[in-house]
Amino acid sequence: MRGKQRLGVAVVALAAIAMAGCGRGSGGGGEEAKSVGDGKATGEITVWAMGAEGEKLAAFAKQFSTENPGATVNVTAVPWDAAHQKIATAIAAKQTPDVSMIGTTWQGEFAKTGALDPTPNLIDKSAFFPGAWDTTVVNATSYAVPWYVETRLIYYRKDLAAQAGFMSAPKTWDELKAMAKAMQEKAGVKWGLSLQPGKTGSWQSVLPFAWSNGAEVATADKLSFDKPEVVEALAYYQSFFTEKISPTDLPDGTLEPDFVKGQIGAFVSGPWHVGLLNEQGGAGFSDKFAVAPMPTKKSSTSFIGGSNLAVFKDAKNRDSAWKFIAWLTKPEVQVKWYQTVNDLPAVQKSWDDPALSGDKFLPTFGAQLKSAKAPPAISTWEQVAAAFDIEVEKLAKAGQDPAATAKAVQTKADSIGTGG
Amino acid sequence: MATARVATVPAKQVGAQSPGRPAPVARTRPRWRQAVTGWAFAAPFSVLFLVFMAVPVVASLVMSLTDLRATDLRHPFGVNFVGLDNYAKLFSDGLFRRAAVNTLIFVAIGVPLTIVTGLAAASALNSGLVRLRALFRVGFYLPVVTSIVAIAVIWRFLLDPGAGLVDNLLALVGIDGPNWLFDTSLALPSLIVMATWRNFGFLMVIFLAGLQSIPIHLYEAAKLDGAGRWQQFRHVTLPMLRPTLLFGGVVTGIGYLQLFEEPFVMTQGGPLSSTLSVSYHIYNQFGFGNYGYAAAASYVLFVAIVGLSLLQFRLLGSRD
Repeated sequence: MRGKQRLGVAVVALAAIAMAGCGRGSGGGGEEAKSVGDGKATGEITVWAMGAEGEKLAAFAKQFSTENPGATVNVTAVPWDAAHQKIATAIAAKQTPDVSMIGTTWQGEFAKTGALDPTPNLIDKSAFFPGAWDTTVVNATSYAVPWYVETRLIYYRKDLAAQAGFMSAPKTWDELKAMAKAMQEKAGVKWGLSLQPGKTGSWQSVLPFAWSNGAEVATADKLSFDKPEVVEALAYYQSFFTEKISPTDLPDGTLEPDFVKGQIGAFVSGPWHVGLLNEQGGAGFSDKFAVAPMPTKKSSTSFIGGSNLAVFKDAKNRDSAWKFIAWLTKPEVQVKWYQTVNDLPAVQKSWDDPALSGDKFLPTFGAQLKSAKAPPAISTWEQVAAAFDIEVEKLAKAGQDPAATAKAVQTKADSIGTGG
Repeated sequence: MATARVATVPAKQVGAQSPGRPAPVARTRPRWRQAVTGWAFAAPFSVLFLVFMAVPVVASLVMSLTDLRATDLRHPFGVNFVGLDNYAKLFSDGLFRRAAVNTLIFVAIGVPLTIVTGLAAASALNSGLVRLRALFRVGFYLPVVTSIVAIAVIWRFLLDPGAGLVDNLLALVGIDGPNWLFDTSLALPSLIVMATWRNFGFLMVIFLAGLQSIPIHLYEAAKLDGAGRWQQFRHVTLPMLRPTLLFGGVVTGIGYLQLFEEPFVMTQGGPLSSTLSVSYHIYNQFGFGNYGYAAAASYVLFVAIVGLSLLQFRLLGSRD
């Protein structure tokens, strides 16, 4: 017993000494990228990828092995739920793969651990959508490459809008609201526009309105929610709930069937909803709805999401890993990848391909992507976003004053900080 | 060979331990060997305990005194010691206070409710009020062994405002049923009822065993003294059942203070954080990478659990 106690004390003391001894390094940012050697890729490249990408990438990468006979790509599929934890553990244990897919909002955190390799000049920055490239940048250094992107648009029932007297897509804030209201009054729609009333990820629906109103919201070292532009956007967002245009308690999984039935006139979402709606609406439904860019106040700025590809400093096959990423972001490979898993290309040139430009809905996404924005890659963003979601819920459901909401978010954001 | 040597040790020991005799010099060696042998036997457990229990516990305690974040993963010793700052921050965090209040309400109502329900079910089954006893016993116990995910799906259907059974039943008697899980004042009570339903079967089984161990002659004596059913319950059953009740209370209290699964699968802590529990808050903070802060919150929860258990031992423990 006494021996055990003594040992416990020893462990504590040791840990205390170790902690008092060393200070925190700077970590992340301001690094010089090493260049990548010439020639073809060789050896085994280990890759982690999530979701559908994880399932399909292994077969897709066979083409890369054909072009680079000395290289094999070994893909591990990781479920999204477990991915953050798995990557964090790998970084702590210094047992990382060569390449991993990384959600854009995790970029700041992982880059700050100092585990990611800065992007070499093998990759051409100008080929990508600027908003997507920005998600890879931490303290002016890029630590990854955008792989695929998505952005949010307004989905609306074209037929019901026409019935309500709106023959074309709403272009401004006022038009959007007028259309939603008119659909309720004239087309028998129960909810004119479904907006997310708080909960996880609602910031992705709210921030586009703030950005479209000229708000900066967040930079790498400053979070500024307490601004008149943000307050105005919040007030506009809230008005949909107070005027009973948006539901505050829509149960999970009822959005799509209600939209198909004509109970919901419009909603804000990403490209995956095109497939979902066609599936649920059946043949011919794709003629009944349309997508429109975010309505303009000062600009039309939506949210850009997606995933990046990063190489780890502990990679065993660094040069070939970057060559694999360079191959994945070639315009023609990006088009092929789109045809494989429906991931929208992060490379602008791919959008000229008829596979995308000939689509009914995609060109609208492509146009919106050019100006779409993402929050800066700061390590605390997920936490700031969660605080934001809670205040949005109060705004939408409990009628919290927009100015008070902005102030509450600001107070929390200040106490959380940017992790810098 | 080793076993043979061990077997001889107790034999020598018996002779050596005659009372009052001063220790002979030669005895120190066998004793030293005995200690080694003892530790050798205890080594597998001790090593496992030290590596997988003691070290992580100590490490997490140290962690709660630092500002360790997910971004420090590669250099965990580069963090700063912040003393009790995490604990101070905890109590000034509105969300943590909200979670603490929610958890306390859940425990204060949920634990007694579960115990009373479990005791009522056990008494009913025990006194032969109910036919098909085995069937009911299985039925009441089933929720305990059913996956929370399956239960959550069923309860979400039950509580659905449009298609739900509960609101449809209320509609039959002319009441316009509320949207249970989306109402800030009803979501937590809904979870309490669901948790009670899910857990009382376990207590019922424990209480049944306790009831059956009460000697029948005590009831006969009470009857001769003219005690009615309620008086028998009050003056015979309850006192005899006190150790069982204590066990039930402590186990349920520990489980309920760590409330997590129900809000996680049913409400995600909403609406408006009205079902956020302390464990859920800790889970979120670990998710955000605030390891030091989350560890501090875990220790506060730990102290609360110890406190509640001690309180129950005081209230229900033996009074002899």
